Amino acid sequence: MQAFIAQCKAELLRSIRNKRFIIFTILFPVAFYFIFTSVNDANMKINGVAWKAYYLMSMTAFGLLNSSISSLGVKMAQERSQGWVRLLKITPLSSVAYVGSKIIATSIINLGIIIIMFLVGNFGKGVDLSITKWVSCGAWLLLGSIVFLALGSLVGTTKKPETAQPIASIFQLGLAMLGGLWMPVVTMPKLMQDIAHWMPTYNFAQGPWRILAGQSVDLNNIWILGGYLVLFFLLSSFIFKKQNAE
Amino acid sequence: MKNAIEIKNVSKQYQHKKAVDNLSLTIKEGSIVALLGPNGAGKSTTINMILGLTEPTSGQIKLLGKAPKEKSVRNKIGAMLQEVSVIDGLKVRETIDLFRSYYSNPLSTNELLKISNLESDQNKFASDLSGGQKRRLGFALALAGNPDVLFLDEPTVGMDITSRQIFWETIRSFAGSGKTIILTTHYLEEADNLADRVVVINQGNIIADGTLDEIKASTGMQHVSFTIGENVTSDHLLRLPGVTDVQQTGRRVKVYGENTDQILFSVIRNNIDVSDIETHKSGLEDAFQSLIESSDSKGEDNYASIYRTV
Repeated sequence: MQAFIAQCKAELLRSIRNKRFIIFTILFPVAFYFIFTSVNDANMKINGVAWKAYYLMSMTAFGLLNSSISSLGVKMAQERSQGWVRLLKITPLSSVAYVGSKIIATSIINLGIIIIMFLVGNFGKGVDLSITKWVSCGAWLLLGSIVFLALGSLVGTTKKPETAQPIASIFQLGLAMLGGLWMPVVTMPKLMQDIAHWMPTYNFAQGPWRILAGQSVDLNNIWILGGYLVLFFLLSSFIFKKQNAE
Repeated sequence: MKNAIEIKNVSKQYQHKKAVDNLSLTIKEGSIVALLGPNGAGKSTTINMILGLTEPTSGQIKLLGKAPKEKSVRNKIGAMLQEVSVIDGLKVRETIDLFRSYYSNPLSTNELLKISNLESDQNKFASDLSGGQKRRLGFALALAGNPDVLFLDEPTVGMDITSRQIFWETIRSFAGSGKTIILTTHYLEEADNLADRVVVINQGNIIADGTLDEIKASTGMQHVSFTIGENVTSDHLLRLPGVTDVQQTGRRVKVYGENTDQILFSVIRNNIDVSDIETHKSGLEDAFQSLIESSDSKGEDNYASIYRTV
């Protein structure tokens, strides 16, 4: 337990010290949020929701997507290629504690991203929601980011960090765009809309978007996210097992 | 005394190569054992199997009486692996503290900083250290859990001569404390200075195993040289007990045998007319070379890969 806590602390420290990580998970989302709520009318309605509130959820989801994929995926690939994981294998630290501490540390960071983004939205752009709505949006985003942690661990199976980094970027940018985090899905052509509905990012952000619109939870979102979670998890554990057997 | 390591009939088959071939080895607690052999001989594969990093294809390995992967075993071992590895985003002291947290009975942080001579660099980021400093950090991490068994796989690669000397002095000070140390090294004189047992591995097999003196003697490389009087011939000398070969250049002869003391004793007891006596004990390197050469069926192909002292 002591080892697990120390491992979590170390992971937190490493993430906070990583400039690239902070830029992609906090600075970019905040900057995009300010830019796109300024060039567009912040109070225009998307599905009956004010753009400044709608886009706040989009950009929070974008930050979480980046943080989850890079902290698990890119870091794990790096640590494996540098022999660090091999060194850990001969210590009493279990592999469950190793991966678990990364998940916990990233979840704490993710919670931090949610809080920072919500504060920025509230104080910077005057997004005014009820406590219940803030909390339920935050809870959905925090829980939903587990799907992207699983995707991160799949990226982490890449043997070379030089490959893991671009793969992570492709997932981060691709999923953000296709899932309507950058531009609302309703503004996309029909084909792109159909694709978006199957993206994990769309189903992830759809939770808070619906909460903002006062709609109930759509089970389809949960099923699709759950499906992706199982898929990513099974794939990455299958690949890890195969690599370990070598 | 108990066995720290027991290896029974272990083989490791890779796709195209048998790295380790039916190897058996027992290492007692508290001993310092050097594994020597040319590149690709199977030393690192053997160490990795003892550490549980590589699964043997067949055979059995026990480390401290248990399977190497047991958590209680991991708590009692430490290792410097061949590849140097540090974690980014953590300082030297933080890295050491992190490793200490894994073990139930760690050495103190200050002690580890002192042993690794990193006290003045403790607040540097580990990734900013020089190659030699990273190696020393690796050494501190290997000792973090105050291990009973310490594995050092080519620990001084990348260190300059001074660092190497300091490093081996530190190891030597540990050696007396009852710890078992298994090491591989490119630098034969380092093994020569430190190990009380040398195991020579070639082509996945043990080809020699014993104390340094035994290994040196077993190769028959020792000889006595002296100048012989007019009426002495090499035939006389060959008939003496313990003599295996005689080479003569003018009146100077080299008399080969396993035990130079015995040769001298016979020479003197038989009143053979000799002067200017010199005895030559071969170094570990000579012994090593001759062992590898005689075990290599391929011969010259492998000479190039035989280790050299610096």
